[in-house]
Amino acid sequence: MLGQCVAIPVLSENTLDFGTIFLTVKVLLFVEQGGEQLMDEKSSGKFEFERPNAAPFGSVLYQEHLKLTDKSHMAPFAGYLMPLWYSSISAEHKAVRQTAGIFDCTHMGVFEVAGADAVGFLNSVTTNQFNDLKLGSSRYSYILDAAGNVLDDIIAYRRAPDKFMLVVNAVNVPKMKAYFEGLRNDEIVIDADKPDRRLEHRPAMCDMSGSNAAGDCRVDIALQGPKSMDVLFALSRRKTFATHIADLEPFQFVDQDIQGVECLISRTGYTGAKIGFEFFVHPGTAPQLWQLILHKAKPLGLVPCGLGARDSLRIEAGLPLYGNELAGEFNISPFEAGYGWAVKLQKEFFIGKAAMEQTARTYDMKVARVDLPGAKGIRPVRKKDGVLNRDGKSIGWVLSCAKAGDRQFALVYIGRESVKENDSVGIYYLARSQIQIQQGRRQSVQKGENLDADIVGTVVSRFAKF
Amino acid sequence: MVVEGLLYTKEHEWARVEGDTATIGITDYAQEMLGEIVFVELPVVGKEFQSHDEMAVVESTKAASDIYSPVKGKVVQVNSELESKPELINEDCYKMGWICRLEIADRKSVETLMDSKQYEEYLEGL
Repeated sequence: MLGQCVAIPVLSENTLDFGTIFLTVKVLLFVEQGGEQLMDEKSSGKFEFERPNAAPFGSVLYQEHLKLTDKSHMAPFAGYLMPLWYSSISAEHKAVRQTAGIFDCTHMGVFEVAGADAVGFLNSVTTNQFNDLKLGSSRYSYILDAAGNVLDDIIAYRRAPDKFMLVVNAVNVPKMKAYFEGLRNDEIVIDADKPDRRLEHRPAMCDMSGSNAAGDCRVDIALQGPKSMDVLFALSRRKTFATHIADLEPFQFVDQDIQGVECLISRTGYTGAKIGFEFFVHPGTAPQLWQLILHKAKPLGLVPCGLGARDSLRIEAGLPLYGNELAGEFNISPFEAGYGWAVKLQKEFFIGKAAMEQTARTYDMKVARVDLPGAKGIRPVRKKDGVLNRDGKSIGWVLSCAKAGDRQFALVYIGRESVKENDSVGIYYLARSQIQIQQGRRQSVQKGENLDADIVGTVVSRFAKF
Repeated sequence: MVVEGLLYTKEHEWARVEGDTATIGITDYAQEMLGEIVFVELPVVGKEFQSHDEMAVVESTKAASDIYSPVKGKVVQVNSELESKPELINEDCYKMGWICRLEIADRKSVETLMDSKQYEEYLEGL
């Protein structure tokens, strides 16, 4: 029976869409060890990339995971073997909402951008603006190609006036490496209207997530949930440490030492938790910090959390996942995703600006969050299921859905004006098996069709904090 | 965990054959792989299946999986308790988490199943 799994949304970011990050007209190959081959589509400004196919390997915390969970709970994700869950997705989800959870995010990509041109580079290459970003603060932004396709969503941390740390999605690391390399070598169209336009800024860039022991390498471990501040206090008795941590506002960070482990501690996260931190540490010290946190914080109720809970928490909070609520098969733009504020159209230039101006005027779909019944015994809503308005007319599709206690939360892609907050919407389940197909259940839904709802929910606020 | 005395399929269903009936469920390995089971679509009593016919669907938080009939037969009873308590499959897959009972129509279809020792060896090879 296991060969027949029809939906494993937690893996869809790379396994189901593996090698087809974009609908490619022209394929760009990237060979990781030398022999890089770059091609760009001069006419459209579209950057195309096919992920190299390689066997997954364990993260720097792989041995730690094997101490905590069975090997059968590990699955390939973005080229890594990562834990899907340790105890259960729902128990880990609940822990992050009620106490705290720790996540292996060492698979995330971390780059450094340094040099006098760093701010100018980020202003040109990403959609947000970085002139007024304070030292010790970070900012969310998008990297687009010249055609306006989202290549990745990132957070840039300002570590010095001319030095930033960029955190990119694990699944996009090889693509972003190729893109940055292409930009530096003038092999990428940055302005679709002016194919000869060249990037003015050339700061030094490097991949910080490698295990090059000599350099300032960093990988990410996340600590999220209402007790995470208490966990941090338990890790160091230094009074100055407690003050620094307590003073951090969301998106601020500080460099601190935790029992000999040098950490960049940031008040960021991907769970919707009001209190949550990420530690950026050298890959060599990551296992030590992981053990320290687990050991010190177990009495406080902290649990290790896998990719399953990471996905369900971000869905409940309304946060987009690259490939699902951003880009992906619907080519969802930042405006549709609810992040138009991170696209600064008033800037003189950024890659993809012309396309974004057009999108900002004309977009007619949006991402919305829907609250649905989700007790045991209720069939889970899944990706591609139809979304219906009160009259039973299909207004779009489910992008992601996850259980949270006795509810399930769906992120849906629907007509921009189709429904408002507090409106009820129906969901039509697509066929999950041959039996259902024989019974006449559909395998896909088109917009505008009239269908009977299988389950009814309510549109709620786009985002939620916990 | 593999239980002695039951018969198994490569798709990780088990069958307990008693006289002319076979009780069907999914194995511990299968429930472990699926994670938290939240929904079970049971077959209809009276329906007849060939071996390997899809007979039920089990959905966990992360996947939907078909359950195939291990033998040829007719459904005589279903475990309706799973409709409100699908987690019984996670908690006790070989007893409380049974899915349905079939009246065996063809004894030969039983002979192709693995015994517990063969299934254990099969799992080791996965």
